[in-house]
Amino acid sequence: MASHDESGKKSNENEVPTFNAENLQSNMKVVYYCRTFMSIIGGVIAGICGFTGLMGFVVYVLVMAITSVCLTARAGFSIHSYFDSWNRVLLDGFLGGLLVNVYFVCAVLDVSFCA
Amino acid sequence: MAEELVLDTAIRDWVLIPLSIVMVLIGILRYFVSKLMRTTQSPDAKIIKEGQVVIRARNLRAAAGFIPLKAFRVRKVYYTNEENGLLHVPKGQAQNPQAQMFSDPNMAMDMMKKNLSMIIPQTLTFAWVNFFFSGFVAAKIPFPLTQRFRSMLQNGIDLSTVDVSYVSSRSWYFLNLFGLRGLFSLILGEENATDDTQRMMQMSGFGFDPSKSLGAEKDGLDIVQHDWVLPKFEQRAQAVLRKRLSS
Repeated sequence: MASHDESGKKSNENEVPTFNAENLQSNMKVVYYCRTFMSIIGGVIAGICGFTGLMGFVVYVLVMAITSVCLTARAGFSIHSYFDSWNRVLLDGFLGGLLVNVYFVCAVLDVSFCA
Repeated sequence: MAEELVLDTAIRDWVLIPLSIVMVLIGILRYFVSKLMRTTQSPDAKIIKEGQVVIRARNLRAAAGFIPLKAFRVRKVYYTNEENGLLHVPKGQAQNPQAQMFSDPNMAMDMMKKNLSMIIPQTLTFAWVNFFFSGFVAAKIPFPLTQRFRSMLQNGIDLSTVDVSYVSSRSWYFLNLFGLRGLFSLILGEENATDDTQRMMQMSGFGFDPSKSLGAEKDGLDIVQHDWVLPKFEQRAQAVLRKRLSS
């Protein structure tokens, strides 16, 4: 899912890390797409397994954590050469994905509910 | 009391799934229509010039640490000089670009078209949902809600003892509206017309751009402290070169 243009962003400075803004933005886009997709999948899974209420939310947080770990691993564990702070890769898109996740949970639950 | 209502399969087949499919299709249709209807505005030279000046000033602010103090000061004065600095907008002229922009017929027409192409499908779909799909329980929300939401979520349902988690199709429509935004951003790539909240934010900021941003950039430049981050650069370059040459 993470595309191959997560290339390194640091310039040649060893003391002050500077980033190429375009590449940074494209990396953020990749993270956002990954999160949205995973929240859809997580929502569908939670709907199929019948998790409601708090359990569904816990499943969402779990899926997000797994996504963060996978993104970190893909970036070779040296976050600072691809993103400018940890928060970006861990928390960005959390809330937007939550809405999508809730939607898909409802959708799958209700569609499977009637059968 | 959690009575388990079992919904008819007919509801699922004829309400939930068609509504979702219709919304996805309308979103895709709207994306293509907005692409087709996008007229190329002939760019106004003055506005572009001002935009570029703002970008240059911003770059100067961001990279202030990499140039020597004297060079930075020279550039700063060039931008913020009171008489003929690039960022200094004489007071009387500040309001004009904004007023001109809103009365410019092309721009107004463009904004109107974008607005319409967003509002009309939503209104039509909402009216359709209301007309055909009202008066019965359509879906169940998976988490518990308080009684306050009853009037909002259970519009057509006139029973007051039904659990608030069972909602009408109007709320299913809204849930679709918000939840499918993420899906659209995945399948349609960037700049899809369905992200209307982002659009509204952009539009409210659009009218102020030229006149206020110059003043803002000027203030920003005045504030910047020059922080020379390459103090011993020559020594470092020397050390690196020595290492390279000796290995």
